[in-house]
Amino acid sequence: MKSGVSLLVLASLLISQYVQAASLVVYSGRKDKFIKPVVAEFTKETGVKVLLHSGSSTSLLNKLKLEGSNSTADLFISNDAGNLEKGKAMKLFSPVSDKIAKSIPQKLRAADNSWIGLSARARVLVKNKNDKSVEFVNSVFDLADPRLKGKLAITHSGNESYIAGVTVYMESVGKEKTSKWLAGMKANVDGKVFNKHSKIVKAVADGKRGIGLVNHYYIYRHLKKHPDAPIEIVLPDQGKNDMGVAWNVAGVAITKESKNKKDAERFIAFLTSEKGQSLFAKVNSEYPAREGVAAAHEVPAAGSYKVAPVAMPVLGQQRNATLDLIETVGMP
Amino acid sequence: MNNPAVTLENIKTRAPSMRGFLALLVVLLAAIPLLFVFFSSGKLSLEQWINLWSNRLPELLANTLSLAVLVAIGSMLLGVSAAWWITRRDFPYRRLATWLMVLPLTIPTYVFAHIYTIMLEQDGWLGQLWLYLFPGTTIPEIYNIFGVTLVLVLAGFSYVFLLVRDALSRSQQDIEEAARIHGATPFQVFWRVNLPMLRPAIAAGIALVVLHVLSDFGAVSMLRYQTFTLSIYLQMSSRFDYQAAAGLSLVLVTLSLTFMVLERFFRNRQRYYGSGQSKKITAQKATLFETVAIWFWLGLISTFAFLLPLAWMLSWSWQAWQQDLIDAEFWGYVSNSITVSALAATLTVIAALPVALYHARERSVVSQGFLYLSNVGFVLPGPVIALGILSFVIATMPAIYGGMTVLALAMMVRFLPLSIQAQESAVQQLTPSIEQAARSLGANWYENLRRVILPILKGGMATAWVLVFIDTLKELPATLILRPTGFDTLPVRIWIEASEEMLELAAPASLMLVVGTLPVLWFLMRDKSSK
Repeated sequence: MKSGVSLLVLASLLISQYVQAASLVVYSGRKDKFIKPVVAEFTKETGVKVLLHSGSSTSLLNKLKLEGSNSTADLFISNDAGNLEKGKAMKLFSPVSDKIAKSIPQKLRAADNSWIGLSARARVLVKNKNDKSVEFVNSVFDLADPRLKGKLAITHSGNESYIAGVTVYMESVGKEKTSKWLAGMKANVDGKVFNKHSKIVKAVADGKRGIGLVNHYYIYRHLKKHPDAPIEIVLPDQGKNDMGVAWNVAGVAITKESKNKKDAERFIAFLTSEKGQSLFAKVNSEYPAREGVAAAHEVPAAGSYKVAPVAMPVLGQQRNATLDLIETVGMP
Repeated sequence: MNNPAVTLENIKTRAPSMRGFLALLVVLLAAIPLLFVFFSSGKLSLEQWINLWSNRLPELLANTLSLAVLVAIGSMLLGVSAAWWITRRDFPYRRLATWLMVLPLTIPTYVFAHIYTIMLEQDGWLGQLWLYLFPGTTIPEIYNIFGVTLVLVLAGFSYVFLLVRDALSRSQQDIEEAARIHGATPFQVFWRVNLPMLRPAIAAGIALVVLHVLSDFGAVSMLRYQTFTLSIYLQMSSRFDYQAAAGLSLVLVTLSLTFMVLERFFRNRQRYYGSGQSKKITAQKATLFETVAIWFWLGLISTFAFLLPLAWMLSWSWQAWQQDLIDAEFWGYVSNSITVSALAATLTVIAALPVALYHARERSVVSQGFLYLSNVGFVLPGPVIALGILSFVIATMPAIYGGMTVLALAMMVRFLPLSIQAQESAVQQLTPSIEQAARSLGANWYENLRRVILPILKGGMATAWVLVFIDTLKELPATLILRPTGFDTLPVRIWIEASEEMLELAAPASLMLVVGTLPVLWFLMRDKSSK
């Protein structure tokens, strides 16, 4: 039995060796089905092999931090700017060279290029066209209106996109108003929140709810499968004095401990190239971060509406303050 | 061979000390996550403690305890009723019924949660059925305490069933007959004779279920029901607040320990002994009405606890098969799962041996203390164990970090108590006199181990191996954190696909878990019925 054990231990060590032989290790918080085609194209073009380690952005960042200098990760991809900025604050990343970084607008990357935004998503409203009672809504703050009791669909407050949205509103209109807004929404949903954005869109399409707060691409994803669904997108807060739509980015960073920074930069260069950008963003109807690369045709064009002027790094810097606010209100 | 050194006293003192040392080693390893919790929560300031205490704890305590109570009641109703009918009545396809009551053990809680979430949607199987039966009403929500209770009862009642069935088939007829002779009605017999005698088995079963509830991560996180375990995980992963997580863990540990001590205390005070010659119970032939009633009840249970989920898995797996989604990558996940489970099971069984042997021989405060300490895996949630092991390995032996060894180590800590319990009864058969006999006949320690100890313990070790194998196969949170880079197991894939709503991909992985656990379960059941 003893020899059997040592054999197994040996085998496991061998496997871990084999795992480390891959050229680039990517911790990816992005959905597998969105990142895999991009990675395959990169490997085809450069011959560099990539090992994907998928999970949620937050827990992967956690892992990176705990592993410290023992991490085998070369790159970190997150669906949310909050995590990227948090990683920067914890000094987990190594800046990307200016040459590659400058293909992405300054406001969509870290000040020191610690991380680079790749695609952007807009926090919008999805409305049921047949429901007259929700017609009045044209600002996210209207969602706290008591007239929407039982008609509002939002995600639970642990969702990364939800948290990032609240941060933008908090930065734009202040803590007090945001706190009141949250309390109003809390009363409207009465404990019934959704655990996925896709389910919000579905509930609105089915008429179970009148209006929902989601990332824009979930609407198009639903419409692709059900072209006749009675739903429409509403870009909120577009008035002259209104704050505009909240944006968030998905992005990538090179880890500080990466032993293969050259290939890691090649990967980022590919992701930020026109081809890489259209691959990365279009599979998910997102806005490519690089200027001049168009989003999928069904999506409202990037320059055509007002976006809240909150720099992406703030999403990380104000994350804990946002969580405190959410918790104080006691959002479900 | 006349060796004056081998005297009875000598054996008594020398043999345990070697075992004691090995047992100490294992227990220290198992205690790492606990030390981590002490260490990290020690860094919390008084103000932070007060904050935790007033803001988080009341809600978490209420949520966790009420869930534990509901799940305990539910599992008892299902488990005891099923065990009672199956041992006391002889009806057609009784063996099949037994199997149906055990099969839910092959489905992990997060798979149950995932499947029921989907089935209860408007276009899901149960959702449609509901709307057909009760048009105009809304489908019941699963995202609340009752939904979580349903999932955890279905996933856990089999433990109560197994233990109670065991106790019932060992119980003896003469006491019942004595009660009947004295004029007790069948109900009085059940209430005043059977139930008290079953109490230890029911208590043990409920203890197992409650400890599973306290440490469950999969179902509560999929259904977003804030228990201690989920809150600890969120504290760690979304706030990077290890200290608060450790503080909450400390409270959870205290809670579980109190519960375990209470349970052991009550169990020890309730031992019933029958005389060796008394008649074993035989099952009565069931009447037609009884047969129908029994099968209706058992069929209802197994429809929801196994058949419906199985049908769902099969149907979506078929879709995946047709779309050619079951490829080499998928079989890679299967092989990863099997490898890590076999490694962890082997490691855990070997590690449990010195602890169990030491306690069987010594029966001292120290050995009892070891036994309590080795229960860390039961009382600490998976994410905390993973975090403790990770921090320890990185601080002391970074070279092994990232390999499967670390993952297997964490599994060992998680499932050590299970393994020790499974081996305990076999160890008790190993009386000192057997060993002394071997020694006095000149056997050295190695021969003693190989020719005396291991043959006696073989059965218990096999059972322990099987149990740990199943649990590692299904384990999610620690695997998520500690798996080697890019090393995806079936649970990890189910987790990823479920969060991406790729039903046709989560289904075959769940089905493979069921299929993978089956032979192992078969082995376990055969082992049980041959006793």
